[in-house]
Amino acid sequence: MSTAGPPQGARPPQGERREATQGAHHTSAPILVASGLHAGYGAGDILKGVDIELPRGTIVTIIGPNGSGKSTLIKTLSGLLPARQGDILLNGKRLNDMGPPKRVRAGLSYVPQEYNVFRNLTVLENLKIAREFMADGRPGSGKGVISDELLALFPQLAGKFKVLAGNLSGGQRQMLAFACALAVTPEVLMLDEPSAGLSPKYMSDIFETVKRVNDSGVSVLMVEQNAIDALSISTSCMVLANGRVRLNGRADEILGMRDLQSLYLGDSRDDEPARA
Amino acid sequence: MFAQIAFNGLVTGVIITLPALAVTLLFGVLKFPNFAIGGMMTVAAYMVFALNAQLGWPLVVAAAIVAVVFGGLSIVIDQLTFKPLRDRGGITLMVASLGLGLILENIARVFYGNAARSFAYELARPFRFLDIRMNREQMIAMIVAVVAMAAMYVLLTRMPIGRAMRAVADNPALALVRGIESPHIIRWTNFIAGVLLAIAGVLVGMDRALEPPVGNNYLVPVFAAAILGGLGSPLGAFAGALIIGLLSELSTLVIAPNYRIGVPLVVIALILVFRPQGLFGQPYIRK
Repeated sequence: MSTAGPPQGARPPQGERREATQGAHHTSAPILVASGLHAGYGAGDILKGVDIELPRGTIVTIIGPNGSGKSTLIKTLSGLLPARQGDILLNGKRLNDMGPPKRVRAGLSYVPQEYNVFRNLTVLENLKIAREFMADGRPGSGKGVISDELLALFPQLAGKFKVLAGNLSGGQRQMLAFACALAVTPEVLMLDEPSAGLSPKYMSDIFETVKRVNDSGVSVLMVEQNAIDALSISTSCMVLANGRVRLNGRADEILGMRDLQSLYLGDSRDDEPARA
Repeated sequence: MFAQIAFNGLVTGVIITLPALAVTLLFGVLKFPNFAIGGMMTVAAYMVFALNAQLGWPLVVAAAIVAVVFGGLSIVIDQLTFKPLRDRGGITLMVASLGLGLILENIARVFYGNAARSFAYELARPFRFLDIRMNREQMIAMIVAVVAMAAMYVLLTRMPIGRAMRAVADNPALALVRGIESPHIIRWTNFIAGVLLAIAGVLVGMDRALEPPVGNNYLVPVFAAAILGGLGSPLGAFAGALIIGLLSELSTLVIAPNYRIGVPLVVIALILVFRPQGLFGQPYIRK
């Protein structure tokens, strides 16, 4: 994450970009790297040359205004949307030519923002599918019952195994989606707006769960609108605007910025070319 | 009289259970109404006829072999006909399936003509139970349909491949990021639908004379059953088929038997107006 700086020609907003970027430094090798990523729908690109690095064992949060390309980025990494240019590497292995199922089995797990459980299947069937199809001889893989460790992470699901996932509350559905993504211990967990539409109680549960998942050794890449809560558990942060990385730094530093709000909402002046 | 008509309706219902289940499975996974199922039933029935009546194989053996072969053939049909059109949307696929159904019916006509034929098996005298007249073909149809439904229930709820089929039907994009390879599931769905259609073709051929339009004649009640139960819902297909069978036969108590073919059409119209998702289906949300 430390190396992804602002694109050439972009002007640092309020003069704080340099400090934040310099503040972001991690010693561990990146587990997930994307470089020069272009992707989009139809004719135009939504991502216009995005570079990211996810250091092993960290939580990196991507924030930015609506339409900045956050969800597009995470969908491109998951394989649901093809990358038009650039490389995606997991543990040094190129993923570009792999479809979503192969990326999942390589260790890149993804929780979409909505429609993230099979609503017409029971809770247990959702979990079984995750174990049966995401497994590839990695830790926690294989068939059979759900591990006690996993159940301990999600007490909200206790006693609900026979309930249709569509009949769960929003927070319980989100927990089930997390549990499915973790049913076979992934290398990287990618979360798209995990707190979207949830009550404040479930919101704090969600971020607490993300922290505990990370503490267990899983690296986390998270897109989140609720920037304050997300950054409070994150190692580092990336601000995306108009399909480009605008700021990249340590979470506590970005959280401390007085003009976080303007960065988070995007600043049109960023698109102006830098003056000589 | 009423009991006899109700029994006949039940038999009609179980016969359309299998193709209705095939329709609902195919629709759930591939998201288009496959009208080729009528022609597929016809071709499968004639394949069984060739082994049974022409080569002298026992009907059960011929039906079992054709069921498996036709499962494979269904995969080939999908790969050649529907796969190249998959990105063009449901309407294109539906029109292609209508054309394919007509082609298959006429392939049977080219080889066997329009004459009505029947399988070669020993006829048995009908028997009476509680004043209801039953014949052996009806009992075979009931037993085969119930066993096939039970097998489908086990497959869809107890086996990984069945759960994966339901998962793809529920949310194809999520299925991909849960590690499910969609092409693999599509092949399995076509295989299972082919097996169901082949068995249904034999039951239909036993219930009525075997002639080229025999499969397509069942299209309306089969689709009425699948729509009534809720397209994509296997349990709904079963319930819808029994209801359509019973309603069609019981309608002859109040209308002339010639008009009972209109009953499934009325059911389709009513269900689309008052409960488009069917009895057991989920409202479809366009994402």
